[in-house]
Amino acid sequence: MADSAMQGLFWATLIGALLRASTPILLAANGGLVTEACGATNVALEGLLLISAFFGVIGSAYAAIWMPGMGAGFYACLGLCCGLAAALIFSLVLAFLHLELGADLVIAGIGINMLAAGLTIYLMSVLTGDKGSTASLASYALPVLHIPGFATWPIVDVLLNSESRQGHHVLVYAALISCLGVHGLLARTSLGLRLRAIGESREAAIAAGIDVKKSQYLAFAISGLCAGLGGLHLSMGYLAVFQADMSAGRGFLALAAVFLGTRRPLGTVAASFLFGASTVLAAQLGLLAIPSQLVYMIPPFATLAAMAAAGAWRRARSRRTQAIGA
Amino acid sequence: MSEISRVGRDRLSERGNLALVIAIALACGFVLTLLTSAQPLRAFHVLLTGAMPEIRWSAQGIEFSRVGRLATVVEETITLSLLGLAILIGFRARQFSLGADGQFFLAALAATFVSVKLGGIPWLGFPAAMLAALLVGLVFGAIPGVLKAYLSCNEIVTTLMLNVVAVQLYRYVITTGFNEAGAGFLVTPRIPAALLFAPLISGTAITAFLFVVPLAVCVCWFLINRTVIGYEMRVVADNPWFARQAGIPLVRPVILSMALGGAFAGLAGLHVSNALLKQLPVDMSPGIGLEGLVVALLARNDPKIVPIAAFLYAYLKTGAQVMERTTDVPKEMVLVIQACIVLCFAASTLVEFQAGTRLRDLMRRGRRKAASKAGGEHG
Repeated sequence: MADSAMQGLFWATLIGALLRASTPILLAANGGLVTEACGATNVALEGLLLISAFFGVIGSAYAAIWMPGMGAGFYACLGLCCGLAAALIFSLVLAFLHLELGADLVIAGIGINMLAAGLTIYLMSVLTGDKGSTASLASYALPVLHIPGFATWPIVDVLLNSESRQGHHVLVYAALISCLGVHGLLARTSLGLRLRAIGESREAAIAAGIDVKKSQYLAFAISGLCAGLGGLHLSMGYLAVFQADMSAGRGFLALAAVFLGTRRPLGTVAASFLFGASTVLAAQLGLLAIPSQLVYMIPPFATLAAMAAAGAWRRARSRRTQAIGA
Repeated sequence: MSEISRVGRDRLSERGNLALVIAIALACGFVLTLLTSAQPLRAFHVLLTGAMPEIRWSAQGIEFSRVGRLATVVEETITLSLLGLAILIGFRARQFSLGADGQFFLAALAATFVSVKLGGIPWLGFPAAMLAALLVGLVFGAIPGVLKAYLSCNEIVTTLMLNVVAVQLYRYVITTGFNEAGAGFLVTPRIPAALLFAPLISGTAITAFLFVVPLAVCVCWFLINRTVIGYEMRVVADNPWFARQAGIPLVRPVILSMALGGAFAGLAGLHVSNALLKQLPVDMSPGIGLEGLVVALLARNDPKIVPIAAFLYAYLKTGAQVMERTTDVPKEMVLVIQACIVLCFAASTLVEFQAGTRLRDLMRRGRRKAASKAGGEHG
């Protein structure tokens, strides 16, 4: 009996870790999904994560310096706004370059990623004199949400309120809501319909009288906000600090999740959790005496294997349908 | 207007464009410096002149100092040229391979490994090291190509993932076995002197590799413009639909462009291991592949201009290091300038691989809009 309870606790803890690891990937992937729906690949997700993580920390830290005496929640809120605004601006710059100046989305996206990497380290170095992290700045984390009433049921409590029993982070819930939100947006709203129409055929959408540019700007704005929330989870989640290259490829994993999920909401969510799980697995194996370098290889290998498997499956399926068609 | 003069004018405007892009990027960097530095003018002066040697006239005649910095620029130019070519070949087939980093790391490691193991027999070790670097680059470059061609895996994502794998593998090999005991830090054993490229100028690491660059440029140019595979690459890039109709196999150019790009990245790895560093530290910092991307963009996908673009970039990078040492502006300023260059290039619709379609598209759309407007006014 005690044994099974221990096992239950272990799995509940693991699920909590999975949620935590998947949150930034989920949010960014949902952001990527919105632009992908209208046929625009958002390669800049990585940069958006980084830029919002940085400006979230800077916003909350400087709010505290310039406006002393307010509550920590107020500073965290300002940080949230700063981070989201930064991600929004960068995302709209990308949209502007693509839609108005005809920039190639991939190259412009890589440019935004470079800009995010350079600008964050540059500003961090100028502001704190340290290129590694903003540890010398006192910044604030966003709160956790505690669901009361389950204190007597440890397994349920760990499941609902994480290992610490304090509650899951508010952005974990934001990630879960974003999954439903993006699905609802794409499937149930007129904007979603327009975006999907543009994704199917831009020319047809223009002919049908859809304001293509406006819809795509909106898609990039939503994408920026989603990825921005993901970035804030990194720097204002469990640790209230920004580190150089903090996103560490999660934006690219999110992009991979969109492709792996065949550009559909459910598939994207599943793929994001898969990547989150490989991160958790890496952390669990890290506890054993396995060289850390090998552990770090697990997420990229999982991604590659999953992408290859999905590609093989698609190939087989298209052969099947061709055979039926013939 | 004759065809020739039109082409000539395009060339001219293209060159003007290049200068304009660099000017805009530098201006962005300068604005940022103005906002954040207490000595912006001095910082920018150092950034732009830091890499130049100092020439002083004295009673003894002309004296040069800080020549080492110029040597650094040349060494960097060689590495960046090869990486630029690596990215460029992929671009020509419209493959956005970002895998140069991983190929570079593993090729450098392979070259060092072979050099150390075969150090006693130079006549065998030298070509073997070269072959190892090229082959490792080629094979590691071909993997995303195969994944793309057969399983249609997005090459941006696969190359980025493979980069992580390569860098971790590099660190794993050096950490767990292939290192020099008693060095105080993790580093590969030293490559025996017989297998190093000898410096042409003493005191620098400028070696015979200097001549490899023009050779590589020629090979790359010939490959793209004068071979069947180069033609296939260009057709697949410009119009995959046409390529399919014309019976050009889509698989071969995609895989080969990536594999050949990998070989060039491997050559860059060989340069770093057997000419510059002589032994590889475990914490060699990744990210040099993206610099190759900037060089390829700066060169507008023309292999002949790659060395010039690489020189410009290396010059700026060396200047930035001096700037960081002597002023309050961190060297990451160059990353910002680099990003501005990429964004400017992306935004100027002349970017080679879509110049045709995109420009025509825009013009047609503009005409249509004008026509519909005129029609609306009449009606």
